[in-house]
Amino acid sequence: MAENAKKTVLVVDDEADVRNFLKAALLESGFNVILAEDGNIALEQVKKQIPDLISLDLVMPKKSGAKLYRELTKNKEWKKIPVIIVTGHARDDLGKSDLKELTMSGPGIYLEKPVKPTNYIAAIKKILGMDTTEEEKETAEMVEIQNDLKNLIDDADPETLKKFKEFINKKK
Amino acid sequence: MKSNNRISPPRRLTDMIFRELYHQVPFNVAVIDRNYNVVDANKNFTEYFGNWKNKKCYAVYKKLKKPCKDCPSIEVFKKGKPIVADAVGIDQHGRKTHYVGHVFPLRTKEGGPVDYALEMTSTVTETDRWQQEYQILFDRVPCYITVIGEDYRIVRANEAFRNNFGEVLGQHCYKVYKRRTTKCPNCPAAKTFRDGRVHHSTQSGIGKRGQDIHYGVSTSPLMRGNDNIAHVIEISNDITALKKLEHQVIEAERLGAVGQTVAGLAHSIKNILMGLEGGKYIVSLGLNKNDKEMISEGWEMLERNFEKTTSLVKDFLSFSKGRLPQLKMIKPGFLVKEIVDLYKDIAAQSGIELKSEIDKNVKKAPLDPDGIHTCLTNLVSNAIDACIMGKQKGTEVNIKVSEGRDKLIFEVSDNGSGIDYEIKKKIFTTFFTTKGGEGTGLGLLTTRKIVQEHGGKILVDSEKGSGARFRMEFPRKRLMALYKEMK
Repeated sequence: MAENAKKTVLVVDDEADVRNFLKAALLESGFNVILAEDGNIALEQVKKQIPDLISLDLVMPKKSGAKLYRELTKNKEWKKIPVIIVTGHARDDLGKSDLKELTMSGPGIYLEKPVKPTNYIAAIKKILGMDTTEEEKETAEMVEIQNDLKNLIDDADPETLKKFKEFINKKK
Repeated sequence: MKSNNRISPPRRLTDMIFRELYHQVPFNVAVIDRNYNVVDANKNFTEYFGNWKNKKCYAVYKKLKKPCKDCPSIEVFKKGKPIVADAVGIDQHGRKTHYVGHVFPLRTKEGGPVDYALEMTSTVTETDRWQQEYQILFDRVPCYITVIGEDYRIVRANEAFRNNFGEVLGQHCYKVYKRRTTKCPNCPAAKTFRDGRVHHSTQSGIGKRGQDIHYGVSTSPLMRGNDNIAHVIEISNDITALKKLEHQVIEAERLGAVGQTVAGLAHSIKNILMGLEGGKYIVSLGLNKNDKEMISEGWEMLERNFEKTTSLVKDFLSFSKGRLPQLKMIKPGFLVKEIVDLYKDIAAQSGIELKSEIDKNVKKAPLDPDGIHTCLTNLVSNAIDACIMGKQKGTEVNIKVSEGRDKLIFEVSDNGSGIDYEIKKKIFTTFFTTKGGEGTGLGLLTTRKIVQEHGGKILVDSEKGSGARFRMEFPRKRLMALYKEMK
């Protein structure tokens, strides 16, 4: 477990319940956890201690997730921090453009609320290249495929969607 | 018989008078025999139709080679009685001419057959042309024109009017326009009958196929000189298409808002699900570890999120209530005082000063007290939250009501955290919240809806970090129109 020596995750979300939930899941898997309720506080935390990973919400008061991310990328040290996005706005007008920008240029992985603790941990472990159980590995891969599919479905034309549905139904 | 050879002066005088009269009367006079030959004609006739000697009447009048089918003189020859007829001919310059002819029988022997027809014609070409032009103008102008008498019966209606309202002559205007059995209140024509002036108003009527017709109408008196007004002319413009367009725009906006609302609802539910998922997870962790503190933490999370579901549903229902505003004549300042009383203490607890400013010029207005109360509550509680979030000292919230150019204005301003530009673009279109766990994000959407139901609009003015000003504007005219409609 040497390489899995306690990694630190900064959880940024404006909702206390979400912060506490993710914190519980992370602690349970042996992570150190720092919390921040908006982009400004998160930046202060990063200045104090560079986390191994940032779990980031997009729509927040004061400083949004997208703005925080842009600021992080301006700093040599900070831009190396991997980021996972956890948002409820993945597919609405408020979050879509931000998310597209972020997934194209940076973190690549996002989870759509509500998230399951196992998916969340598996995704984080994969980003950090940590040892995972077979089960966790499978979960992480599944999450990734699901995300890819969601994106493909969002951009697909109606004809393709029909074919896709037929294909999935046949497999069942 | 010497005396017979001598022409007596009176007889000569009479002949002279007749001769002169024959040539000077303002008619074209011609004498025709039974074979259509023109046997004599006066100067006027000759000047008008040209040479007639040794010509047939039809050749002279109409440049035809055969007798006219509707020859009036034949009737005179047959029946021996004078008749009047109108016809179209061609003058000596080839111009088409309308004329009216009086045809008299001439007999050489008293009591004998009619030997000649005396035709006296006068041209009506000019008047006829004017009349035609006037008729075309009357019928084709792109508006409805009716002339109504003092008994409110329609005496004339143009083509555009008849096309939309049917054949209506002799009917009461209120029946035709609106299918009413009595006179309309605020009838502009009645005002014109009373004061002889032009009046304007906007009205809605029912067309012949039962369709709604909206029109703007002007009534003017129809009188000659100083006579009493016997008729009023009503000129209306059809604004139905305009109204329809207006309606379509509102409808499109409404549908757009529905889509955004559903997306917003989905997001709110996702957040609640996330909280429930978290609560469930923490409770089960606590159970596994037999950690009571953890169990109660998770349980509280579950409770909180169930509570959120309830308030979301409540807010959502009140938002979706498609009710018309219940307008009452009230003092707008009174509503502001109510809100100040309600929020003064809450604001003071957070170190915020709640101020109000009621302009002396503000007059009573038809408003839905509950609706405006909800709007002000939403705006003031938002402003207080923004002040708390701003975490500065000396923060204040100001509620102001004033009278603008024909509109009533409510303003709620604060010097709190302000609104991010990116968020400002969306605050009225999507319901979302930047207040973390508090609020459902429906407040501003509901506020906008109520303001729009009053025919008003809501505007926001804010820079991040320097407070915000929300402004609700209610055009007085629209408020009054709604009030009338409601009554």
